[in-house]
Amino acid sequence: MKNACERWKDQLRETALTGARTPQFAEHLQTCANCSAELRDLEARRARLDTLLPLVAQGAEPPADFRARVLAAAEAAGKRRRVRRWQAWTLAGAAATAAIVLVVGAVLHRGTTGKIQPEGLAAAQKLAEWRAPSDSLLATPGQEILRTTPKLGESYLNVPMKAVEEE
Amino acid sequence: MSTLIARAEAHSPAVGFGERLAENQRRVFQIAYSVLGNSADAEDVAQEAFLRAYQKFDSLREAEKFRAWVNRIVFRLALNRKRGYRRRLERDTAWQSMESPAMVDGAKEAEQQVMLDRLRKEIERLPAKLRSVLLLSLVEEMDAADVGVVLGIPAGTVRSRVHTARKLLLEVMQ
Repeated sequence: MKNACERWKDQLRETALTGARTPQFAEHLQTCANCSAELRDLEARRARLDTLLPLVAQGAEPPADFRARVLAAAEAAGKRRRVRRWQAWTLAGAAATAAIVLVVGAVLHRGTTGKIQPEGLAAAQKLAEWRAPSDSLLATPGQEILRTTPKLGESYLNVPMKAVEEE
Repeated sequence: MSTLIARAEAHSPAVGFGERLAENQRRVFQIAYSVLGNSADAEDVAQEAFLRAYQKFDSLREAEKFRAWVNRIVFRLALNRKRGYRRRLERDTAWQSMESPAMVDGAKEAEQQVMLDRLRKEIERLPAKLRSVLLLSLVEEMDAADVGVVLGIPAGTVRSRVHTARKLLLEVMQ
C-alpha cells in the first residue's frame, strides 16, 4: 500500500466486512490498483473467516445420548437430595422428641422432689439431733453462753447488775 | 387425596425438565464448545449446567427464564474451566500442551483444522470483552439480544463489539 492510500486503510476493512463503500472510496478504487488488490485480498480473507468462525462454536454436536445421561444424573442427584432431606428431618424430629422427653422428665422430677415425705422429715430431724459420744468431751464452758444470740444492745456476757452493786 | 398427589407431582422437577433440556441442549453444548474447543469438556460443562438448572427448576419452569439462566450459567462454567486449564498449563511447564480439538473430534479436513486452530488462537488474543461477545454470537441460536442478556450489555453494544472483533480478526488472519 502506498503512503497516499494509508487514509483508506480503515475504509478497506469496512468495505471488506460490510460491502459498503463511500463514493469517494469507490472513486479511489477505480484509479488505485493497489487498493483494489488489497480489497480483493481482504474479501477473500473475510470469506474464509465466514466459513471458519461458525465452526468455532458449531464444530461439534452433543452426543445422541446426552439428554438421557443428563436426566439420569439429575434423577440420581434428586434422589440423593431427597434422602439427605429425609435424614435431616428424621434427625431434627429425634432431637425434638429427646428435648421434649427431657423437659417433661425434669418437670415431673421437680414435682416429686418439691414435697418432703413425713418419713424423710423425721429421719432428717433425727439426723440433725444426733451427737457423737465424744461431743461431751469437747464441750467448753463458753458453749452455754454462746448458745443463745443476744438481743440488740445486749452482750454475750450477761452479768447481773446486782452483783456489781454488792461489791 | 388424588388431587394433592397430582399437585405434588406437577411441582416435581422431573416434570417439564426433560422438555426444557431437549429445547436447550444443542445451544448450551455449543456455548461450552465455543469457549473450550473440545467435545469432552463441553459435554461435562453442559451437563453440570443442566444439573444446576434441575436443582433450581422450581423457579425456572418458564421457558424464557430457563433459556436465559442456562445460557448464562454454562458460559460462566465454561470460562471457569478454561481458567483452570490456563492455571494448570502455567504450573505444569510448557511441554504439556492442551489437547488439540483435532485429536478429540477427528475426521476434519487437515487444512481447515489447521486454520481453525489458528483462528482459535487469534480469538484467544482478542481483548476479553470482544472475545466473550464474539464466542457467544457464534452459537447458532444466539442473537444479539440473547448475548446481551448473558453478558449484561445492550444488543447494540453486542453488535458493535462483534464488528470490531471481526475487523481485528480480518487483519490478523492472513
